[in-house]
Amino acid sequence: MYIGIDVGGTFTDGVLLDENNDVLQSIKVPTYQDLSKSIEEALEHLIRGTDTAKIKRLVLSTTLITNILAQKHYEPVGLLLIPGPGLNPDKLNFIGDVVIIDGAVDYRGRVIEKLNLSDVDKAATYFSKKGIHHLAVACKFSQRNPELEDKVIAYLNKHYPHFNTMASHNVSGLLNWVRRSNGTAFTLAVNEAYQGFIQQVKETIHKRGIACPLHILKADGGTLPLEASLRYPLEGVFSGPAASTMGALALTEESTTAIVMDMGGTTTDLALILKGAPLLADKGASLEGYPIPTRALSVASLALGGDTSIKSSDNKIGFGKRQGPALCLGGPVITITDILVYAGLCHIGEKDRIKPELDKLAQSLQLSAEELCKQVTDLVIDKLEKSINAMFKTWEEEPAYRIWQVLSKKERRPRQVICLGGPAEALGLTWGRNKNWKILVPPHAQVANAVGAALAKNTIRMDLIVDTEQKTYSTSIGGVGDKLNKPLNTVEQAHNFALELFEKTKDKWDIQGDNANETEILYEEGFNIVRGWHTAGKIFQIGVQTTPGLIGYVDKGVKTNE
Amino acid sequence: MNKTGLIFFPAFDWAISPTHPEREERLLYTRDQIFEEGILDNPKLVEYKPRLTEKADIQRVHFCVPDIETQTTTAHFISAGSALKLGDALMAGEIKNGFALVRPPGHHAMRVVHGNRGFCNINNEAVLVEYLRKKYGLKKIAIVDTDVHHGDGTQDIFYHDPDVLYISFHQDGRTLYPGSGFVDEAGGPGAYLKNINIPLPPGTGDEGLLKIYQEIIKPALALFQPELVINSAGQDNHFTDPLANMKVSAQGYAQLTEQLKPDLAVLEGGYAIETALPYVNLGILLALIQEDYTYVYEPEYNSKKLKQSSEVNRYIEEIITYWHNKLQEKAPDKESLFGKEHIFSRQRRIYYDTDQIEEHQLETVEYCPDCPGIYYVRSRASRGYGHDDNMWGVSVPLYACPACQKKAYELWERTKIMSNYDYYYLQDKKADNYLQEKGR
Repeated sequence: MYIGIDVGGTFTDGVLLDENNDVLQSIKVPTYQDLSKSIEEALEHLIRGTDTAKIKRLVLSTTLITNILAQKHYEPVGLLLIPGPGLNPDKLNFIGDVVIIDGAVDYRGRVIEKLNLSDVDKAATYFSKKGIHHLAVACKFSQRNPELEDKVIAYLNKHYPHFNTMASHNVSGLLNWVRRSNGTAFTLAVNEAYQGFIQQVKETIHKRGIACPLHILKADGGTLPLEASLRYPLEGVFSGPAASTMGALALTEESTTAIVMDMGGTTTDLALILKGAPLLADKGASLEGYPIPTRALSVASLALGGDTSIKSSDNKIGFGKRQGPALCLGGPVITITDILVYAGLCHIGEKDRIKPELDKLAQSLQLSAEELCKQVTDLVIDKLEKSINAMFKTWEEEPAYRIWQVLSKKERRPRQVICLGGPAEALGLTWGRNKNWKILVPPHAQVANAVGAALAKNTIRMDLIVDTEQKTYSTSIGGVGDKLNKPLNTVEQAHNFALELFEKTKDKWDIQGDNANETEILYEEGFNIVRGWHTAGKIFQIGVQTTPGLIGYVDKGVKTNE
Repeated sequence: MNKTGLIFFPAFDWAISPTHPEREERLLYTRDQIFEEGILDNPKLVEYKPRLTEKADIQRVHFCVPDIETQTTTAHFISAGSALKLGDALMAGEIKNGFALVRPPGHHAMRVVHGNRGFCNINNEAVLVEYLRKKYGLKKIAIVDTDVHHGDGTQDIFYHDPDVLYISFHQDGRTLYPGSGFVDEAGGPGAYLKNINIPLPPGTGDEGLLKIYQEIIKPALALFQPELVINSAGQDNHFTDPLANMKVSAQGYAQLTEQLKPDLAVLEGGYAIETALPYVNLGILLALIQEDYTYVYEPEYNSKKLKQSSEVNRYIEEIITYWHNKLQEKAPDKESLFGKEHIFSRQRRIYYDTDQIEEHQLETVEYCPDCPGIYYVRSRASRGYGHDDNMWGVSVPLYACPACQKKAYELWERTKIMSNYDYYYLQDKKADNYLQEKGR
């Protein structure tokens, strides 16, 4: 049996699935200030009367990181940056106080400018005076050579032991210094709270006699063992949209290509699934407006939900903030949900409560109530279409750096939408009729996110770069990189080296074949380093990942408009 | 719209040969630098996916002998296609400028293509200019070539076109490949002074480059009033380039780009793939986005060593004076330049360094008071073995008059009957009609 729990902003959803991926139990409880309490409550319900020894895995998706940051429950972080040549570092988007020091590493990992340790002294004094005790140290190309970062950290630990330090190369190996720097700062910021939370959750789960592997859901729709997440807490950020997208996939069918629309009270999330794999954001996620190295789904978020209020502004229909629930559910103003109910597209609450207010609004706009409903629905659909078209365009314009990538044909734009969330079904049917979309409404749509978490595969991706002249290798995974201590001459040898390293990393992270996950090579290429008239060495680039997706599907009873 | 469009196509799976300067590795470190900087996250930058060019876009420019397939690989179609894609984005108003950071390069590819010259088969900038003029009805376009080598291919293609201003500065042809690009190559009789060559002495640095921009290029552009400026953005004036002897730095290139403000830039040469390209490309990109580039410096940068000698300064003063006077001169009228016969012919020998081909060419332009006039060329390529390739081609300019267009078709029919070439070409840019036939 599998358990999936998604702790969202308002509700915590949980499911218990059997071996055939059928939903045995599902639950929705409020999300409390103390998230572990919500988890406990959901778990309590899910495992009542179940033999916990039969539970094979438990996956958790939480908004913990976003909560910590939103509530400012963290200590300030300083950034000690070693940029070297390039962009003006003063104009970049970093979270926290920044001190820039001398020193530089180039793209091959060669130190091209020495450190000046007296700079570090000055920085330490500055940060101490400001009351900052957490320091992120980030040097450009530190994944290619961590020497300068490590030296600064060793120096700080020796002379200023009160600082809690972290090197960017241990957080991520992504080729993007700004994202690495911010990722390191955020990791420092949330680290303590995250470790504490995970400890608490583990206790909660173990207390109930559950001894199965525990995972967290990542922003890219795969899972990561809870233990490994302690080292990379940011991996779990934005897992909400990943949960519902993977859920939508699990509840329809394998290798679906579709849009997923998840409509909540105040927002609508749109995501894209291509042949059973969610589309990832090309460059990574942003947290609180700062770019971070975390891979995440490409999600378009519209400030439009069932509780969005409708008003007249300059004699036109306008959308306003949520003022409360829908009129028909006892709220204060007309909402999108009311429009759907009045138009007979969905049946909740007291329809009678809507008419007087609707008439008033329609009159002020010199429309009939029916016309108003139609226009509101059309406006919402227009916004959705626009958003989806922008998403398609981004997907079709994904850069390509190789001939084969330019030549490879993209899928055609899908014409089907999987609808999740309260008003989504009602709206979806109208949308489908007006704009010719196939609308899919899966069973258990209200807990799709928890299903997605329960069934998401364990995944890991590694982009490896080997430089045989410098005798080093580095990867996109924080902390995985080192000196190269064996000769690699051919792409085949490099390929084997990559697989070896990949297996080692998987073992270290305790990523096992709970989903018999196959390893796939994304690309592999060898470059001759030619200097003067001879070949001085080779650079190999190899991308490896475990196939993303789901360990099973719940494809029974999908409703469609066809 | 304040966005800069970027197509980065390093062609990690294409090379002329494994150790040739034009190999897979060329833009690898540029990729590293640009990605590591995080500049692709800048909201003012929008990255596009490359696309393939159409055959007709190549035929509009080149006579490929024996055919396009022989002279190109997929990478050539993508490199040129990327320039066109940015051209479309520019014309659609999606971007304010764009940089096609692509390989393979193209500025040594001439109108007639028998093989690879100076690493080039297809002239990306020329394909772009003709595409934009055909598709969007533009007329006057300027190309500013900042590669250290004279862009003899681009010069050749537009030599008789009064609506394309080609300006190139480069290391003096007496000291560097391809050995052309002197001031007296100033355009055909119908396009006199629409080809401006600025040969520079070895050892020219940032100072000299910016000075000739201010004193020659800027006034020449002001005089010509182009609708669009395209930068043929070679980077081998760099002080570390292995194939040339100049002293320009990333700062110099960035400043030049900032001042020139090209609408579109297309990468050309530059083979100091570690010491120059990562920094120069970053500098150019920042200048196009209008971000601070003053922190972009090479590890080897040393302002003292990069100072120009007084001899170089003196030479630069001289060439500035030359062009200053020339641009103020009243150009002689077209008819008198064509001469009494109303016909212009020139015979040339062209060497293909990469493919070791010796081409003998005779090109002819006929005078027409109403349009640039028809152009025809016959050319023989010897490889030193086997059969020589003999071709003949006629070209109708985009803005040809109906009489000249008619004349070209008559000439095409007549020549096919009367002569004995291996390949015949008709390039009608006006009707966008391209014909090719094999000889008997």
